[in-house]
Order: sequence, then C-alpha cells, then structure tokens
Amino acid sequence: MNADALADLFRRVLENPDVSADSDFFVSGGDSLLATRVLSGIARDCGVELGFDDFLSAPTPGALAEKIASRA
Amino acid sequence: MSVVVVGAGLAGLTAARDLLARDIEVTVLEARDRVGGRTYGLEVAPGVWADAGAAYLGHRHTELTALLAELDLKTTPTAMAGDSRFELGGDVGTRAGRFPPLSAVALGELFDALTDLCAKVRVDAPWLTPDAADLDRRTAAGWAAEHLRHPDARRFFPLFLGEMMAADPAAVSVLHMAFYLRSGGGLRYLNAFAGGAQEDRIDGGAHQVCERLAARLDVRLGEPVRAIHQDGDGVIVVSASGQVRAGTVVVAVPPALAGAIDFRPGLPTPRARTATAPGCAVKVHLIYPRPLWREYGLSGWTVNATGPLLSTVDDSPPDGGAGVLTGFVTGSEAHRFAALPAAERRERVLAQAARLFPELPAPAQVHVTDWIGEEYSRGCYAALFGPGDWGLLGPGLIAPHGRVHWAGTETSTEFFGLMEGAIRSGHRAATAIAETQEEQ
Repeated sequence: MNADALADLFRRVLENPDVSADSDFFVSGGDSLLATRVLSGIARDCGVELGFDDFLSAPTPGALAEKIASRA
Repeated sequence: MSVVVVGAGLAGLTAARDLLARDIEVTVLEARDRVGGRTYGLEVAPGVWADAGAAYLGHRHTELTALLAELDLKTTPTAMAGDSRFELGGDVGTRAGRFPPLSAVALGELFDALTDLCAKVRVDAPWLTPDAADLDRRTAAGWAAEHLRHPDARRFFPLFLGEMMAADPAAVSVLHMAFYLRSGGGLRYLNAFAGGAQEDRIDGGAHQVCERLAARLDVRLGEPVRAIHQDGDGVIVVSASGQVRAGTVVVAVPPALAGAIDFRPGLPTPRARTATAPGCAVKVHLIYPRPLWREYGLSGWTVNATGPLLSTVDDSPPDGGAGVLTGFVTGSEAHRFAALPAAERRERVLAQAARLFPELPAPAQVHVTDWIGEEYSRGCYAALFGPGDWGLLGPGLIAPHGRVHWAGTETSTEFFGLMEGAIRSGHRAATAIAETQEEQ
C-alpha cells in the first residue's frame, strides 16, 4: 500500500480532505479509536497487520507506507 | 394556565426554568427528598464532591454549557495523563496511553462495523430507518456473534458498550445501539476524553446544576405522582399529599416510571415495555488522601475484563485535595454486583484495587451507588430500548398526549442518555407549551 492510497484512507477515516503524504494522523484529528480503523483498512487492503504502537511511530502516510513495505 | 412539572431532574427543572422565564406559573413535584434525578453529589471529604451519577460533558454539549454559564458554575478537565493498567485475561499489565493490549486490527474491524451501522440509522426517527424492523428485532449480542470474528473484538465489544451506554449487549436492539452511538455524536466523540464527551466535569459536582435551578423555583419534595387525569378544563395531578390542578403537565421522569402513572384518558402508546431494560450502571468511588497513582506515573485509567470494576478513571478535584478514583460496573456485571451483599461488594472492590494498584494503600473509603435499584430512577445512564421497543415506543415518545408533554433524556433524539439530552428535552417541552398558550 503506497503513500497515496494511505492518504486516501486517512481522508476517509478522518472525514477530512486536507491530508497529504506528510500529514500526522494524530495532529489531523485522529485518535486511538480512529487509528484502529486505519489499521483494519491496511489489513484488508494488503494483509499487513500493524499494531497501534507501529502507527504511533509512523503517523504519516509516507512513514506508514515504508513500514508496510518492510513488513510485506 | 399554570403548569405542573413531574420530576426535578435536569429535564424537569430546565422546563420549569424556561416556563417561569415566560411568566408562566409552574410547580415542580418530585418523588425523592432531593432534586437532581440521575445527578447526585457524594461528599467524600469536607468540601470535596464526587459525582455519583452523571458527570461528564464536552464542547458539543452546548445547552449544558450555556446553563452552567447562567448558573455561574465552572468546569474542570478530566485528567488523563500517564500510563494505564489493563486486566484483560491474564495478569495486570501497564501501558503508555489509553490503548488496550488487544489487536488494533480487530478493534478497527469492530469500529468499522459500528461506524457503518451508525451511518444507516435515522437519528431523528430511528423507527423510520431503512431496515428498521430487522435492526429493531435483533440484539446487539446477536449482531456481535454474527459480525465479530476476532476474539479480541468479541472480548472488547461488551466492555465498549458498557462504557458507552451502560448496556449488556443482550439487552439492547441493534437499532438502539446504533441510534445511541449516533445520537451522542458518533463513536469517536462519545468515546473520547480530550475533545470528546468526557472532556470536562463540573467543578464541585454536577448535582449543583439542579440545586441552583431549584433554588429559583417552586419545588415540592416527597411527592411521587400516582395519577394524571385530564378533563375538559385541564389536568388533575394526584401525588402523595393530595392533588393539584393545572392547565398543562410536563412528565420528566424515565420511561418506566412515566408508564407506571395512571393516565386518564389512557396513553395511545406505552412509555416502556417489559423489553425496556434499566441502564445497568453501578458507580463505585475509591477515596484516597490524594491522587496517589499519579506519583507512580499512572493516569488511574484501567480497563478490565474481570470485574467488578470494568473501567476506572481519575475524578479527583482539581486542587488534588483528595484522590477520587471512579469505577464503572456496567452491563451484566452490574446486575451480578448489585445483587451481592454490601460487605461482599466492598471485599471484591478492595481485592480488585489491590490487583490493579499493588503499589497503593487500600482506599480510605469505598462508596457504591447502585442506580439499578433506585426506585425513582430505575437505572442509569438511561433506559435501554430492547428488541421491538423503537418500533412500538418510538412514534409516541415525544408527541404530547393532550395536555401532557414529555421530557427527560430518553425523549431527546439529540444526546439521548446524557445531561445534554435532558436539558434539550426540557427546552423542547417548555417551548411547545409556551407556543400553545400563545395560540389560545
């Protein structure tokens, strides 16, 4: 899953169109509940199951894409 | 013509306040020897009050916020800094922040499914939701069995529903669950402390709202209302000490209690049915000399699959003059806990506190407030609509019955079950009465 697809997923979950590849999820209105919905979306899309702490350490679409690539 | 309000909780007193402000004569009849309904203050140390009932509010609770300003009451943020403790099968574990040691993907699947459900429901009239009959017939427990595959999602779901709406998943319909979550502002808002529905508390206790409202009104305590009879000239309200004549009545008590009043003529639709369950909440307060857990870097927040306390939260006063840890016993656990003798309840709470916080001394006091057993509340946070309830009760929930108007948090489709819903229902009833009187 690339950064563009992740930015789309962020926009959908946050209901906020203003997300770019380096937007921090937790600064853009995201919290732990919404974070789980990003993680379930990633698992559905590419089968990679990340934990909540993985997301905290890679909170942008760009960083998250790298993390997914390293696990896939 | 004068108005009688039945019930001196937030809804009834708000309605009475609004009517008085329009120069309409109003009398409030209250069954208990106190005002406040499901808000109740517990003095846990000299000058330190804990909320034994409703406690939290957020910025979307605009009517409550306006009322607090009018009554010169302040809010204080709910503290949530530090590590949390979890007992979710196995040993007690400590983690940074609020996130439980469960599969985030599994919880995400649960919240995805709930979000889809909430999006479907017609919040202003749940019984008109597409597929309402099907959603109304099934229980939330049945829905979970069908939709949740991961064991972590199945384990977390009843805890989540207990926290959000004090419900056992077997007791509520899917329609009511979806409605309640949507009515309160959606999953994220209802769940959140910072930026959500638990952002603040009322400094000094939520009970002060009703006390300050009542101070300006004619409120008669110890007057449970037994009958409300309408005739061509008005209404006769029969209570413990006699009867009062009025032009209009506002019934601002929970649905099961409203349904027990003898109405003549009778109601076209019932207020509650046997499927309508009491909100299953028992609140437990553990009192320490000060918020001792903070000295160990702990927030006081815990989530536990092993009861009785399914979650705990730091509700200490802002000056740190006492340590107040509030424990929530909800859903089916609340029924089990409420049935125990007082000594055994206390023993189980102390044993759990020792497991969760082995570094702390035992609390100096333990207070248990059982809302299920309260004769004049019948549960808290709010009535739980069981299978079939919305289809049968919904259409008659708000529409006046002749000269009888309805208020109470269960008659507000906005913020149902919360203080905000109660206040909005009171405003709605008072506005409707004032408009009718202007027409005459």
